Amino acid sequence: MSSKEFFTSRYAKLGWQFKETRLTQAIRINTSNSRGKNIVQRLESIGVKLEKIPFLKTGYWVKDSTVSAGATAEYLLGLYSIQEAAAQIPATLFTTLDGKTVYDACAAPGGKTVQLADLMNNTGVIVASDMKKKRLTPLTNHLERCGVTNTLVYGLDARRAHRLGMKFNRILIDAPCSGNFASDRNWFKRRTISDVDRNARLQKDILKQAIVVLAENGEIVYSTCSLEPEENELNIDWALRNLDLQVEEIDCYGQKGLTDVFGNLLDKSIEKCKRIWPRDTQGFFVCKLKRRGDKS
Amino acid sequence: MKAIIDFAARFGAKLSLNPDLMVKKEGRYFLLTRLLRRFILEDFYYAGAYLGKTKAGKFFPSFNLLRKMGENKANSVVVDRKASWLFICGRDIFRKGISAPNGPLKVNDYVLVLNECHECLGFGRIVCNLNAVGKGTDVAVKNISDVGDFLRRETR
Repeated sequence: MSSKEFFTSRYAKLGWQFKETRLTQAIRINTSNSRGKNIVQRLESIGVKLEKIPFLKTGYWVKDSTVSAGATAEYLLGLYSIQEAAAQIPATLFTTLDGKTVYDACAAPGGKTVQLADLMNNTGVIVASDMKKKRLTPLTNHLERCGVTNTLVYGLDARRAHRLGMKFNRILIDAPCSGNFASDRNWFKRRTISDVDRNARLQKDILKQAIVVLAENGEIVYSTCSLEPEENELNIDWALRNLDLQVEEIDCYGQKGLTDVFGNLLDKSIEKCKRIWPRDTQGFFVCKLKRRGDKS
Repeated sequence: MKAIIDFAARFGAKLSLNPDLMVKKEGRYFLLTRLLRRFILEDFYYAGAYLGKTKAGKFFPSFNLLRKMGENKANSVVVDRKASWLFICGRDIFRKGISAPNGPLKVNDYVLVLNECHECLGFGRIVCNLNAVGKGTDVAVKNISDVGDFLRRETR
């Protein structure tokens, strides 16, 4: 059995029939930099045709363009960022962000860090860390380009977050994951189930550490761009049983999280997670967690 | 910090920076907020607003600093759309591309280069008398640094 047959037969067992997907480029307007400026109109005047993404407040599909959307003056001035549509969802799921202490646990290349800063109007503090030091340069270039001023960046493995000596009101874990075929043409050739298991273990370790640095009544948003349940629903089921967490209701694009994974019945509350099978966007999984007993 | 103040002065801009909120690491200067100051650890990689770096005794400003100077009445030239595009591609500015000079601009002065929306695209050095009669195709501002650098950094 080829790797492609192996994975697509798993998706079929989970209720989704595999279909090749072609992603449309998406942008996100940085609202704090573009107040009083009509960025959509400006981009259209230079030949970038946009269409509003219905499930995002500040996201647009690039439907057609005579110029590279990543090389316009508006892009270089930080008025917008290029960010895949599903990847724009996690940062928007926190209840409030202004003035909070926020930990972006696996931050590079910084798309979600910039989005968090934008949602926070550059108030409060974001601590952004990534374990791969060479990925910090693109991250900080992104911060400088977009005029982000509320962020501290560390070359730190999220599994060592206690070293920061801080408690956070909000934690974003956009976990390192196996990815998905929609955003990687060679995905099926490259991935094996042992990669998935290894990533799932790493993600559990990051979740374990997140609890240590989460402040009282804090929120964790956990996301991956993997379609594999080991990195998503099964990890959350594990977290509910072992880390005293509960899943919170979220209102965003996507289908209910799976509660029957290959015949294993999971905690019913996992339905509150969102699973996005590739179609208009890449594959994605996202959920919001709180400590059991904390105020909702 | 003196390097930053002196640099801004070359544009006729007066910057006031709170020394308690400034940190320097490996020649790079950062301006913090009070909250960041409270939480920052020694081994940070980047913090708050990056203002620039000194290398071999020379100061290289960040785009955050140039934006900040723009808000503090630094000398500037507003350029038209075509000149804006050429400037961020690394080219110099012709006299005909300048639609409005702001400030007492003399040869060899530094100026911010702003687009028609008054957004800072970078800075350059004036190389000819902008008030004198001359050909439209004379180079008026020599490009020193522009926001196109964000793309060039990716390929370095």
